[in-house]
Amino acid sequence: MTSNVPFETACKRFEEDLVLYYYGETSETERHPIEQHLSGCQSCQRFVDDLRRLLPQMAKSEEFPQSFWEAYYDETVAKLAKQRERKYWWRDLLAPMRVWMLPAFGTVAIAVLAIGLVLGKGNLPSFTDRSPKNFPMETLSDAKQLEFFESMDMLESLSKLEEQDEQKAEPNQSSSARFVAANV
Amino acid sequence: MVDQQEFRDEELVALCQQGQGEYFDLLVRRYMEKAFHIAFDFTRNTETAKDLSQDAFLRAFSNIRQFDGRSSFYTWFYRIVVNLCLDHARRKGRVVWESLDSLGETPGEQPQLADTSFLPEQEAIAGEAKRRADKTLETMPKKQRTAFLLRNHQGLSIADIAKVMKTTEGTVRVYLHRAVAALRQSLVEFV
Repeated sequence: MTSNVPFETACKRFEEDLVLYYYGETSETERHPIEQHLSGCQSCQRFVDDLRRLLPQMAKSEEFPQSFWEAYYDETVAKLAKQRERKYWWRDLLAPMRVWMLPAFGTVAIAVLAIGLVLGKGNLPSFTDRSPKNFPMETLSDAKQLEFFESMDMLESLSKLEEQDEQKAEPNQSSSARFVAANV
Repeated sequence: MVDQQEFRDEELVALCQQGQGEYFDLLVRRYMEKAFHIAFDFTRNTETAKDLSQDAFLRAFSNIRQFDGRSSFYTWFYRIVVNLCLDHARRKGRVVWESLDSLGETPGEQPQLADTSFLPEQEAIAGEAKRRADKTLETMPKKQRTAFLLRNHQGLSIADIAKVMKTTEGTVRVYLHRAVAALRQSLVEFV
């Protein structure tokens, strides 16, 4: 395979383009000047010939029989299945319980609630007991403030009523004044 | 059995994202050879390539909800495979590799020397020239090597390689040219 033919180098300006040309990675506009150059340059022609001879050889990969691929596929799929199982392990944990555990859990929960209500009756503070002594001080002071503002509202309403009364009284007063003036 | 031709990658991914994980098996069927061959190109070892490519499938599956569809599934998946291969090589200490995420994209980075005691566990396919080429590839900067393997061995377009490597097409062109130039130089006595 070895030869004494001097190693051909391509023209520096074209070398990169020739590699891309070999791989078919040049556009139409790039290809035209390359081909034009190749037609007149023996060094570059040899360079491309070398690529055509060497590079496909390098790409040749070992051939594996179909049985290898089948085993590969089965092994990979088994690993994936295992990974999926690990991902959803909690489902598997619950799966055997699901059938009978859910109603059992429900019954136990209701029973506990009922017992709690029966035993706790009388011990728990009643929500209906609203005597002021049971309210905390902050709540009481807030309530007093509320009462104050309610009375303020009432005062405002009273003053509005008074204003309205005055407005009603004014027209009567002016008409009586007009009557007096007419008689004079 | 579901016919794998029936679904596009995006449809299969969407089904997996909706909780129907069994559809991922079709993606395995579709990409297992490519995934294995990328890993094999990087490691030159059948068992390691199998482990790495299977690990890539497991990772892709566990992160399937994070796939947002901005790139195609296969560029997203290739990236996982390539990163695993680079991480593996770095752990093994053959070459001071770094993952695709870790370095700048400077095409002019210098080759890092490989441990010369490393020899491919499997014999190269085509004699001395192939072995020499493999060795050159091993000592090549990781990004040049990645670009070359994805283009020459996997047939990805430069546009797709740019997506896998998260860089520009111009940078990939430079990587590819440098890789080919280095390989050709190393094979000077065989051409």
